[in-house]
Amino acid sequence: MSNTALVKTAAPRKAAPRRSAYARRRGRSGLAFVTPFMLIFTLFMIVPLAYAIDQSLYTTKLIGGTSFSGFANYTAVLQSGPFWSGVIRVVIFGAIQIPVMLAIAAFFATIFDLGVAKGGRVFRAIYFVPFAVPIVVSALMWGFLFDPMYGPFNRFMNAIGFHNFDWMSSALMLPTIIIIAIWEWTGYNCIILYTALKSVPRDVVEAAILDDTPLWKIVLRIKLPMVRPALIMLVFINMIGAMQLFVEPTILNNYSPGVITNTWTPVIDIYSTSISDGEYQLGAAMAVVLAIIIVAISVVSLAFRNRRREFG
Amino acid sequence: MSAISLENLTKVYATGVTALDRLNLEVGEGEFVVLVGPSGCGKTTALRMVAGLETITSGTVRFGDQVVNGVSPRQRDVAMVFQNYALYPHLTVAENIGFALTNKKVPKEERERRVSEAATALGLSSMLNRKPAQLSGGQRQRVAMGRAIVREPSVFLMDEPLSNLDAKLRVQMRSEILRVHQTIGAATLYVTHDQVEAMTMGDRVAVLHDGVVMQYAAPRELYNRPANLFVAGFIGSPEMNLHEASVSEAELVLGSQRLPLGPAGTVLAPYRGRKVIVGVRPEDLELGRATEKPAGTATLTADVRVVEVLGSESHAFFSIDAPAAGQGVLAAAVGEAEGDLPAASAHNGVARLDPRAGVRSGQRVTFGVDPARLHFFDPDTGGAIR
Amino acid sequence: MSERRRLERLAERDAAIPVELYGLKRGTVSVLTACCVLFAVFTLIPLVWVIINSTKTQANIFESFGFWFASPFEFFHTFANLFRDIDGDGTYSRWFLNTVLYSAVGGGGATVLAALGGYGFARFKFTGSRLFFGTVIAGLLVPITLVAVPLYLVYAKVHLINSIWGMILPSMVSPIGLYLMRTYVQLSIPSELTDAARIDGASEIRIFFKIALPLMVPGLMTVLLLSVVGTWNNYILPLIIFSNNTLYPATVGMGLWSQHATTSGDANLYPLLVLGGLVTIIPMIALFALLQRYWRSGLLLGSVAN
Repeated sequence: MSNTALVKTAAPRKAAPRRSAYARRRGRSGLAFVTPFMLIFTLFMIVPLAYAIDQSLYTTKLIGGTSFSGFANYTAVLQSGPFWSGVIRVVIFGAIQIPVMLAIAAFFATIFDLGVAKGGRVFRAIYFVPFAVPIVVSALMWGFLFDPMYGPFNRFMNAIGFHNFDWMSSALMLPTIIIIAIWEWTGYNCIILYTALKSVPRDVVEAAILDDTPLWKIVLRIKLPMVRPALIMLVFINMIGAMQLFVEPTILNNYSPGVITNTWTPVIDIYSTSISDGEYQLGAAMAVVLAIIIVAISVVSLAFRNRRREFG
Repeated sequence: MSAISLENLTKVYATGVTALDRLNLEVGEGEFVVLVGPSGCGKTTALRMVAGLETITSGTVRFGDQVVNGVSPRQRDVAMVFQNYALYPHLTVAENIGFALTNKKVPKEERERRVSEAATALGLSSMLNRKPAQLSGGQRQRVAMGRAIVREPSVFLMDEPLSNLDAKLRVQMRSEILRVHQTIGAATLYVTHDQVEAMTMGDRVAVLHDGVVMQYAAPRELYNRPANLFVAGFIGSPEMNLHEASVSEAELVLGSQRLPLGPAGTVLAPYRGRKVIVGVRPEDLELGRATEKPAGTATLTADVRVVEVLGSESHAFFSIDAPAAGQGVLAAAVGEAEGDLPAASAHNGVARLDPRAGVRSGQRVTFGVDPARLHFFDPDTGGAIR
Repeated sequence: MSERRRLERLAERDAAIPVELYGLKRGTVSVLTACCVLFAVFTLIPLVWVIINSTKTQANIFESFGFWFASPFEFFHTFANLFRDIDGDGTYSRWFLNTVLYSAVGGGGATVLAALGGYGFARFKFTGSRLFFGTVIAGLLVPITLVAVPLYLVYAKVHLINSIWGMILPSMVSPIGLYLMRTYVQLSIPSELTDAARIDGASEIRIFFKIALPLMVPGLMTVLLLSVVGTWNNYILPLIIFSNNTLYPATVGMGLWSQHATTSGDANLYPLLVLGGLVTIIPMIALFALLQRYWRSGLLLGSVAN
């Protein structure tokens, strides 16, 4: 027994990895570099977020003041028909606008990358201009163009025989906004895809040419698959933006009053609930629900993408 | 009739740079021809023009007797192995190899058969379902080769396929490539900057410099009878020793030493009283010869500065008081700008010796050399004096 | 065009695969160019409309042909009105200056924070670095209103309502800027460089300013551009936190005008809206044109580094 005891104590204990003082000091420098950002980030994003989540659990009544109400606000949101129809509306909006816009953007990005149209440089510059235009201004401009009484587009429709055509009627408002969104975002997406396509190594395409691959196959089966990461990133960014549709309907409402209801999109709903109606606690719950929906969609599409990866 | 012939092939880029200047070359049926030269000499450009990937400024490319200048690379029946392999990253090995066959609408069974044959020939059968990212460099290189051979092309092009592999793998792959070539038998044009690859693999080798062919011959001919200074300095490792010398009656004046030339000196008759450049291969400087002194041996005394012992041989770096010649040419041959080589190197020559000779740094030794093995070059044109 | 640019363009063309190799049918190029023209027209329609109609009276905006001029030429009159408080909502010129202030300070601050933070995350290991960075990235998914509305309520408590800092400080938080800077540092500043400097005994601050920062410039320009544009175009945040219309940026101000233009129907607001919109766009387009070289490579980073 004493032998084993000796052996035990004699065997060296594996030292736990310890960072040297130098490494720790360097780590502290790193911390110093990120502190300014993290500080402002925490104050102006985390704190309001936490406050919102906290407030969403309370209700203020005229009589009785503010009291903890648990998930009551959430139940109200989840049961709110108008809220969900707003959600469905932006989902439809995204489901139509994003693929169409990406297809157009990919189409032109491919054209520019291949160099099969003249004056690519000029076109790229033109297509990118809408990105420099604030959404408010873009909505204002298109609002003028689509204005039911005085807008040139309506006058055009009248001229070719469609009288009383209203681009901004309840039925056509969403398609109209889709057109505006395509105008706003195609250029940006196109430039990103173009830059990604340009980074496809030239010799892979040359190898495909030597293999006598037709152009459509080079584009669809070789180049575009190789820019998948960029495409996916764009889908995410666009999706997050689409779900938060707010500015265009709000501005366009001024041209076609009454078409946009207080719950037309989730963010409009949140805004009107929180600011116009002053029910900021309910609004906070609504915002949290919207955030969860956005995260859920992101997760689902990530899973979908990984599953598709199995098939190559 | 040659399988490939390049006639006065010229390439000038839009920016004004001339990459190739009236290149002439032909490759026979089933021949393995190597284009070798330092970076920027135009060898890859020439290869790409044969493939059709680079536009031709002037000159002709012929396959057999057909001019292919205007023929699209798609129709030239040319397969190419790229330096970085250019594999389709999102396709499996099998799909990569079979890609050209799907384009030609080859029926599935035949396609699979041909793919698996090519894969077996290259040892890739177990990896057919992997993607390039999961393969090592050597494996990717073989996939690139498989993709080329499965097409059974009439012309085979390779652009520095081994330069991204480590040294040991390179030696292995050299024989692989030759083996594949023997099986396929298509005319092959192989581009490299490594003169060892050129010497070991080519039936004939074209040495290129600044867009011009310096010499086009079988490796042995390049080694033993270099046509000019550039080829002399480029082919052979360690490089040939080149020095300035002058010619007097029957002797070569090399610094303070005089080397009797005997019959070998007759070719220098027009140069009596003038300067020439003399070259001697490191292995032609023999210690034993100096002591045994067979008839006609010339001797050269030198101070050894550094000795590198390689095991199978030693390299003795020495200096003599004759200036090293053709610095510009030499520098170009090793790819350095003139003046970038260490100024006034302590040594200006190297000899290959038996390691048992026991030569040490600081020693003064006398080499013997057979004058017939000396090479002479005109100092103005760089051309060999024959 | 300078000689260098000309050579660059030629080199670009040499580097691209010649179009002939794609095996296109005749006329394809023309068809595709026509498509490009069509989309270019679509893109330019609103802008052309705005430029032309900024010169018209309100009546003409409604009645005359939208895509050509009509007399009287009211441009300068309307322009002068931008400096007046027309309908009690505030002065456009004031709004414009606010926009410039918020964008410059907010965008500049965002760039500074992203640069420091991106460098810190890229080149240092410390406890929590992954957690912190992950949290910031998660912030990209958060809808604006989830932050803007409670921010307003928090401001109410700390008297930051109607303070320019209430607008500027949140604008300095740019998760995408941080991500871009970190990626840029990882790709463009080899760690050997910083290691060598450390071995030579330089302090971290010196390393950052003398070695890293000069190499980070293109990335900085991209982030600067994105942050400035983001703040310039921001609508929701200032809408919520400002009740005093002298603090509005141009976006909110024009939104307000737009509302009043339809309800009050008078006061010739339409020409102001059109011209105001035009004036708001021009600086951003100019900025993009000026900093072209930088944001091209920055966008590449964003797409490739995923």
